[in-house]
Amino acid sequence: MNLLNKAAHVAVAATLALPLALAPAQAETTLTVAVKRDRYSVAEDKFTFTTRRPAAQIVETGVKPDENFLPSPLLFESWDYADGIYTVTLRQGVAFSDGTVFDADSAIASLKLYDQGKSDFLQIDQESFEKLGDYQISFASEKGSALVIENMTHRATSLFGPSEDRAVNPVGTGPYLLDSYEPKQQITVVRNPDYWGDAPSVDRLTFRFIGDDNARMLALQNGEIDVIGEVSPQMMLSMPQDGSVVLHESRPIRYVALLANLNGAAPFDIIQDDKVREALAWAIDRETIAGVLFDGRGVPAKGILPGWMFNLGEDHTDGFGFDPEKAGAMLDDAGWTMGADGVREKDGRKLTLRLVAAYPNVSTVKPMPEMLDQMFAAVGIDIDLVEVDDSGVYGSTYLDTGEADLYMEFASNNNTDPTYLLYNLFTSVTAWGGYKFTAPGPHVDELLLKARKAQSREEVVDLVRQAHRAIVQDDLAAIPILMVPNFALSRPGIEVPMSEYADWIDYGNVRFTE
Amino acid sequence: MLRYILVRLATAIPTLLGMSLVAFLIVALAPGDPVMMELRAMGIVPEPEDIAALRAEFGLDKALLQRYADWLWRALHFEFGTSVATGRPVMAEIALHLPATLALAASALIGAIAISLTLGSLAAVAGRYTGAGLRGLTILLVSVPSFWLALLLIYIFVLRLGWARLVGDGSLTDLVLPAITLSLAAGAALGRMVYERIRAEMSEDHVRLAIAKGLGPLQILTGHIAPRIAGPLATAWANAFGGLLGGAVIVESIFGWPGLGQLILQAIAQRDFPVIQAYLVLMGLIFFATSLAADLAVILSDPQLRRRLGDE
Repeated sequence: MNLLNKAAHVAVAATLALPLALAPAQAETTLTVAVKRDRYSVAEDKFTFTTRRPAAQIVETGVKPDENFLPSPLLFESWDYADGIYTVTLRQGVAFSDGTVFDADSAIASLKLYDQGKSDFLQIDQESFEKLGDYQISFASEKGSALVIENMTHRATSLFGPSEDRAVNPVGTGPYLLDSYEPKQQITVVRNPDYWGDAPSVDRLTFRFIGDDNARMLALQNGEIDVIGEVSPQMMLSMPQDGSVVLHESRPIRYVALLANLNGAAPFDIIQDDKVREALAWAIDRETIAGVLFDGRGVPAKGILPGWMFNLGEDHTDGFGFDPEKAGAMLDDAGWTMGADGVREKDGRKLTLRLVAAYPNVSTVKPMPEMLDQMFAAVGIDIDLVEVDDSGVYGSTYLDTGEADLYMEFASNNNTDPTYLLYNLFTSVTAWGGYKFTAPGPHVDELLLKARKAQSREEVVDLVRQAHRAIVQDDLAAIPILMVPNFALSRPGIEVPMSEYADWIDYGNVRFTE
Repeated sequence: MLRYILVRLATAIPTLLGMSLVAFLIVALAPGDPVMMELRAMGIVPEPEDIAALRAEFGLDKALLQRYADWLWRALHFEFGTSVATGRPVMAEIALHLPATLALAASALIGAIAISLTLGSLAAVAGRYTGAGLRGLTILLVSVPSFWLALLLIYIFVLRLGWARLVGDGSLTDLVLPAITLSLAAGAALGRMVYERIRAEMSEDHVRLAIAKGLGPLQILTGHIAPRIAGPLATAWANAFGGLLGGAVIVESIFGWPGLGQLILQAIAQRDFPVIQAYLVLMGLIFFATSLAADLAVILSDPQLRRRLGDE
């Protein structure tokens, strides 16, 4: 009887324990991230599927940007540039998800894929590839550029393995594998069990494409998503303050600045007077604007490139404080005297400036245009404010025609080529339409053209530093206002490893604190 | 009847050509240089040959009229090119999203018809105060913007009651809230029409005779009034269907419904001209098809018209 009792107990205990034994050892961790839209292209000449945010987790680049936007090892272990030739040592022990070993042959095959693309900003000479060893290759830039490795920090240069159709079966070396993709709805990736590096903290990552700002916020509050990856200023202002939504931010990277039309025809020629531009710079109360916009998370700017970027340093520009008296004195000095109606005049002409707000659209910087209007009015400058909510209208109606004095822009340098932003926005040889109006002149052209041809990174950065100072301090082609971080929102209990480079926010390694 | 349809189709050709020209010009003359936008997206410092290649790719190196002729010829074969944003054929993009929009518009139309018939009939036969209340309700529903109504429904049914989810996957249950949002306003507008038609018919001699014969309100409504107003209502429903397809853009965006609304909003933002042009042509064709269907419905519901067309 006793034996029977014991047997019965064991049987009951075993029955109760059975579900536990059958249960997986560890629950799967999942994360759903909402982003604004599906930006993938499957066109062969501009293929971006799975290489750009939000799912740049399947394929990896040769190098990744470090905290100063300098290249650091990823699939490339080390590299060297001398006499126009790049020599690269590849990381060993890496394999593509189909089992192909990542070695000199497969790396060259991957790099050659980029020659098909329109945005072939690597611009590698296709005939120059050489296999120096099983894990060592060399190549040359077809433009003689010393910045090829820097450009490889761009996610668009991720290295694909062999695949019949990359749009259906993207083969990479990354920590995740493609699980499913529904265009304009969602993409799901699952953890790659054979990943060569540290395993990510999330097993299954889903990125939902939700275009409407309100819908993204409501979905987060309703627990349907875990993280919002693209946050507009309006979303920050409407963010509930009860702790149900947590804000994550990077260092400031995005600039808000007024670009000055330095080459416009009358009546858009007043701003060509450097005293007027400097007066504008001193008339802006950046601290007040920073306190109002972006929920007080912006910081007054001394330039349009942050000092940490490319190791430019903080002290190559001085910036401008808020000194309306000094601004007024400068305008007096320039011959603009205060009129009876509070607007300055010179030779019978009113000091009226057309300010077009903004690129990419005015809603991203509201109510900054109105605040600037008041600040400029306080020193006797009348602002003809034009607000546009479409970058196409901004470009073709006002920028390309030069029919404005000031252009407000909210953008960032998201390119690891240090010359990229300044060259396109402030040289007379720019291919970017109307930005020839914001070019200070031959001295800046020369600095940036030299920088593009320089053969050492130090030389490039030094020339960019000089050009940046000329643009935001000496010539004031751009009047800096604010620098703003990248933001993400999440439910409580999640720590998002933020990056200034939105493509490099590592959602696979969020930390679950609850 | 066949002759009528053929004549109707023939007379539509100038309209369709005009529509195609408008669709082409709206996009071709819209502000925003596609080459410039492409250059910014490419992230390179372009050379002059890059710009020339892009202009050629977008056909911008040709005269406007020639571009229209080329585009029209391809459009006649339902070839609208490749989406600039996604790299997929435009027709494949539309095929991906059209079913969801059609499902939404159709379910919203069914809801709108049900709401309109209920509200309109009740308002017509109800007492003075109830009728005024119902008419007031229709005015309120017509006046409320769809995006506001959508947010209100989300607040109540998603956030408060938890009966629905906001971020669906395109399944039928996810269709309910966006369909209700669309059908409420459309149903209210159609309801006012139903009310006015019933009231107009109620003063006609044949209805007075029916009343004199002692028929009940329901019999009069279904047997004498409904057949007379079915034709005009079918026309209104067909037009409403077109309106619902267009009106779905904002609602689809708010509810994340994977339809043409999402597609066109993104296409506009990204200056995806081939997609925008195809969308405009498609919408025009749908409007044309629904109005043709409405005309046929009117003919089929009207014995006099049917007889006259049969004699011709």
